[in-house]
Amino acid sequence: MNLYLQDFSKGILKENPIFRQLLGCCPTLAVTTLAVNGLGMGLAATAVLVCSNVVISSLRRFIPERIRIPCYIVVIATFVTVIDMLLKAFQPGLYNALGVFVPLIVVNCIILGRAEAFAGKRPVIRSLFDGLGMGLGFTLALLIISTIREIAGQGSFFGIQLFGAAFEPMQLFAAPSGAFIVMGLLLALTNIIYKRFSIE
Amino acid sequence: MRDLLRLVLTMTLVGVISAAVLTVANAVTEPVVIERQEREYRQTLEKYYPELADFETREIEGRRYDIIKSHEGEMLGIMATAETQGYDDLITYNLAVDGEGHITGLRIVSHSETKGIGSVIEEPEFQNRLVGKGFQDPLQPGVDVDTVSGATISTAALIDSVRGTMEVIGCQFYGAREKMVDLSAMPAGTYRGAAEGYEAEIVVEVVMDQGKITEIEVVEHGDPAIYFAESFALVREQILDLQRLEAVDIKTGATKSAEGIVKAVCNALQETTDGGGGEEK
Repeated sequence: MNLYLQDFSKGILKENPIFRQLLGCCPTLAVTTLAVNGLGMGLAATAVLVCSNVVISSLRRFIPERIRIPCYIVVIATFVTVIDMLLKAFQPGLYNALGVFVPLIVVNCIILGRAEAFAGKRPVIRSLFDGLGMGLGFTLALLIISTIREIAGQGSFFGIQLFGAAFEPMQLFAAPSGAFIVMGLLLALTNIIYKRFSIE
Repeated sequence: MRDLLRLVLTMTLVGVISAAVLTVANAVTEPVVIERQEREYRQTLEKYYPELADFETREIEGRRYDIIKSHEGEMLGIMATAETQGYDDLITYNLAVDGEGHITGLRIVSHSETKGIGSVIEEPEFQNRLVGKGFQDPLQPGVDVDTVSGATISTAALIDSVRGTMEVIGCQFYGAREKMVDLSAMPAGTYRGAAEGYEAEIVVEVVMDQGKITEIEVVEHGDPAIYFAESFALVREQILDLQRLEAVDIKTGATKSAEGIVKAVCNALQETTDGGGGEEK
């Protein structure tokens, strides 16, 4: 049980995909203009990650070593396409907001990275917890970045206006350059915190 | 060899299973997407035509035209659905035209234009440049309707497509309709009109007798004979039968010829009633 908890928690804190591993930065920078987009992207990627981890782990003895990467990619692409279809059908607003970044989850390096580094070698349940942890770690990072960008760039949080009409939003934070700045500052901050409390 | 076979089989199996999963997912989600699109379309219809009771769909050149009718059966306008190549991908739009043939609204159904640049096509500030235009108005992009600089390709493509749609709407649903009002009052005689066909100009003579079109004859044309004959037979039969020029079915595989014939007949009668260049013999 402790092992499962460890598999789960390392993705969120110790090996957070964004803040510690710096994986999957492209969607991170692109979709985090609004908190709801960040959350949606994170959950979509989590769903794909959990599904692909479970399937890849259960197929690990069946898939020959030499063609494991193409097999992983087919599995991941299948789940991404399913998620894409589901979003289009049931969450059209989010689907339009995320745009091309939903299909691009296929090449999100967190997912292939976990398949290669973890799920391809370990049992199903552990892979499930790993996927869940990594996915939620990714979601958490996206949520933090997008919340900061939405508040500073649009003066709102999940679409709710926080300030009066006098508030002048800082356009910079809504622009792509704002994403780099926020992410850079957060990386510096997490580095300080991790050193201070020696989390490794 | 056995190894290779195993690789191929495994990969194939993974692919087949993936395809099966996607087929199921598509079967589940597609009806939902289609239903929502239809609901949105219906809402758009109701927004532009509050008195809408019924509509009749016609397809011309891959574009869809819904003839909107009120409870009394009167034509309230035309809602066209068309698509055009934008900067990135296809732009699909609805164009609402009122009973007088003026654009009342434009709705972008889907597009993949660059956010913040080509996506201006969705904004009222741009769309209002088209609203109020009629089918008689010239709609040359950049000349009659301003494009948006920085998004020239997206906006020009849309304006140009709207122009094409309006041309079809004008001739198919309005151009003739007004003339038809005077049809019964038109003196008997033979009227000549011309319009561009597929390869060359088509000249027709329309025989009017007692307020009815009794015969249509081709004086001149330069289109491929086999296609032309077939189109002409179909169009002629319909016009003589229905005694109107709007909503003539021209889906015959020789669309340009058929359209040319309808336009030529349209011109023959139109120019006469306008007191213009029509020729009465």
